[in-house]
Amino acid sequence: MNTILRIFILDLKRRMKSPLAIVLTMCIPLVMTLIIGSVFGRDGDVKLPRIKMLFVDYDEGLAAQFLRRGLELGQLAEMVEVIPVVEEEGERLMAEGEASAMVVIPDSFTTKIVDGVPVTIRVVKNPSESFLPIIVEEIISTFGVILDCGTNTFREPIRKSKEILTDEGWPSLNELQTLMDEAKAIFALAGGYMVDTLLTVEESTVSEAGDEGNGKSSGFNVFSYVMAGSMLIGLLFTSNIMLRDIVRERASGTLTRTLAAPLSIWHVVAGKLLAAYMVTMVASIALLIIGRFVFGMDLGGPVVLAVHLSATIFMITGLMTFCFGLIKSERAAEAIVSVLIIVISLLGGGMIPISQMGEAFRVIARFSPVYWASDGFMKIFLNQAGLIDIVQNIVILTGIGLVTLLPGTWLLGRNLRKGGSK
Amino acid sequence: MIEVSEIRKQFGEVRAVDGLSFKVAEGEIFGLLGPNGAGKTTTISMLSGLLAPDSGTITVAGMDASRGDRRVRALMGVIPQEIALYEELSGRENLHFWGGLYGLTGAALKRETDRVLDMVDLTDRADDQVGKYSGGMKRRINLCAGLIHSPKIILLDEPTLGIDPQARIKILDIVKKEAESGTTIIYTTHYLEEAEELCDRIAIIDKGAIHAEGSLAELVDLVGEEDMITVTGDFKSWKGDNLPEGVRLDHMEEGSLRFYISRKDSLGSLLNSFFGAGISVESVSIREPGLQGVFLKLTGRELRD
Ligand SMILES: Nc1ncnc2c1ncn2[C@@H]1O[C@H](COP(=O)(O)OP(=O)(O)O)[C@@H](O)[C@H]1O
Ligand SMILES: [Mg+2]
Repeated sequence: MNTILRIFILDLKRRMKSPLAIVLTMCIPLVMTLIIGSVFGRDGDVKLPRIKMLFVDYDEGLAAQFLRRGLELGQLAEMVEVIPVVEEEGERLMAEGEASAMVVIPDSFTTKIVDGVPVTIRVVKNPSESFLPIIVEEIISTFGVILDCGTNTFREPIRKSKEILTDEGWPSLNELQTLMDEAKAIFALAGGYMVDTLLTVEESTVSEAGDEGNGKSSGFNVFSYVMAGSMLIGLLFTSNIMLRDIVRERASGTLTRTLAAPLSIWHVVAGKLLAAYMVTMVASIALLIIGRFVFGMDLGGPVVLAVHLSATIFMITGLMTFCFGLIKSERAAEAIVSVLIIVISLLGGGMIPISQMGEAFRVIARFSPVYWASDGFMKIFLNQAGLIDIVQNIVILTGIGLVTLLPGTWLLGRNLRKGGSK
Repeated sequence: MIEVSEIRKQFGEVRAVDGLSFKVAEGEIFGLLGPNGAGKTTTISMLSGLLAPDSGTITVAGMDASRGDRRVRALMGVIPQEIALYEELSGRENLHFWGGLYGLTGAALKRETDRVLDMVDLTDRADDQVGKYSGGMKRRINLCAGLIHSPKIILLDEPTLGIDPQARIKILDIVKKEAESGTTIIYTTHYLEEAEELCDRIAIIDKGAIHAEGSLAELVDLVGEEDMITVTGDFKSWKGDNLPEGVRLDHMEEGSLRFYISRKDSLGSLLNSFFGAGISVESVSIREPGLQGVFLKLTGRELRD
């Protein structure tokens, strides 16, 4: 035990003395988050996949028409595909995950708007997608605000919404955001004069209503969305650096010297795996702190985050151990492991979020361990998921960790003992 | 203390060690002298339990050492041929780690670290990164790392490889002192002078086998009392007959002849015979019997750096 601790501390110390490789590695997710985040967040010209929005219209009046026409205009039409359905059909499609959201316009919507009777538009979101349903919700809220506030009080947004209806240069996501913010601001100002909000947007998800921030827009942070996936790449490469070092020590002779001391190869492997786990953990905590304070991410509940993070790093350490145990030559290991990391990250949503991928890829993604990790983080960061919500992710990650770590440790030990003679 | 019997190790087609046997008594410095590729490092690896022999037995302090028994390893200090240190750590940090692996802790670890650092005159550079050390300094720390736990047995694998003469003298001094204090030492080298100067007994190893073994005097006796004479010049017209008494031709090539002479005065007669035949002699060199001669005689090759 003492020996394991010594080797563990040695590795941490060595890593602290030359942290550059890991710091650079951690820059990968940061830069990705920054770039992709700003692209998504600031520039509406980027092609998002078309959002499938189911449209259930019980009103069939003017106001509903206004909403629907608006959605079918210009650039918004490129962004959103409005599919008119009846509610039963819509519910079936949602359950099958065929659409991002379903918007339900209630009966006598127009009449109630005109008469000043409070009315609610219901937005049902697909829980397996995080980003797209939120866009739908934002769009509908914006329209809601526009409708709600009426022409007299809100000349400015209405002027803009006229542009929306007529202009071919439809606003970018950014302009839309500004418009929305403006409308909301005016709305808030006007709040003092109006007795009650006439129109509310009620959101719910297919599975369970209520676990999302009840009717209140849940401050969507695009950085969280990107970080949930990209941090996995950083962590995989960090673990890779740590474990590659074990194989390198074979060449440098220090491993041989260690093995000449009165200890067993298992002490060495255990000490080094612990160090790899620890360093990866520290790296991820650093990333999360940066995410929290630089990107303003909401990190979700501390317990669920800690548990999911531990399971994720367990999986990563296991996977890397297995790789380095399986592949004998150091050079081959380096090449193969890097490619493997890229491939499972790409497939598992580490680079491009899963919800942006095609149907086939979403199925394949489930075979990538990265998927279960990034999916969990996304649910924690964006949906305030609790332990129960991501128990499947945690179980799968721990399972992958176990089935790779145990044989991996054995293989690595055998590998090092052989190599130790050179 | 150490008894090695008929150990063999084969890597693919290469028979690195091919039936090696020797015994080393307590407190003795035993030298394994041989050229590169002779099998010295492989032998050391098997002795230190890092490599299992294909066959044969190794007994250390009465224990079977061929299976890498931890109790055996605890007795040994191994100084590997390749410098094996963590370059990003300081000399002191390295020594702390290696000492710790042998069970040294706390004040004892600190004391022993200071002791070995002082021994190699590196106390004032101890806190610098090993990566910034010169080759000789690395060699010295490499040596310390194997001595810090005051082992009963020290295995040194070419500890003076590629360093300046001063550092070499220092290292040889330390080895001598260790032996004086009763430590058993196995020292491999391909430098004749080191083996001659240091070792109580020497085994000449080549191609995985020991060709001769004994004290320096015993080995020299093997080649007899003959001096080796090398003459260079133009020998085209030389017939090679009528050699004076006590002179034996050993080797002949264009422009150079090698003789062994058993009596010193034969040299004069030999040279006279060249002058008489009108042969111009350019140089004459005489080498008294030594390990070089022994090595040459046993393996038919010169032992070079
Ligand atoms: N791990 C190994 N794999 C394959 N061949 C080896 C290995 N170690 C040593 N050899 C070969 O065994 C022979 C003896 O090597 P070695 O013991 O290192 O000699 P020395 O230390 O005397 O220079 C050499 O031919 C070397 O190439
Ligand atoms: Mg060698």
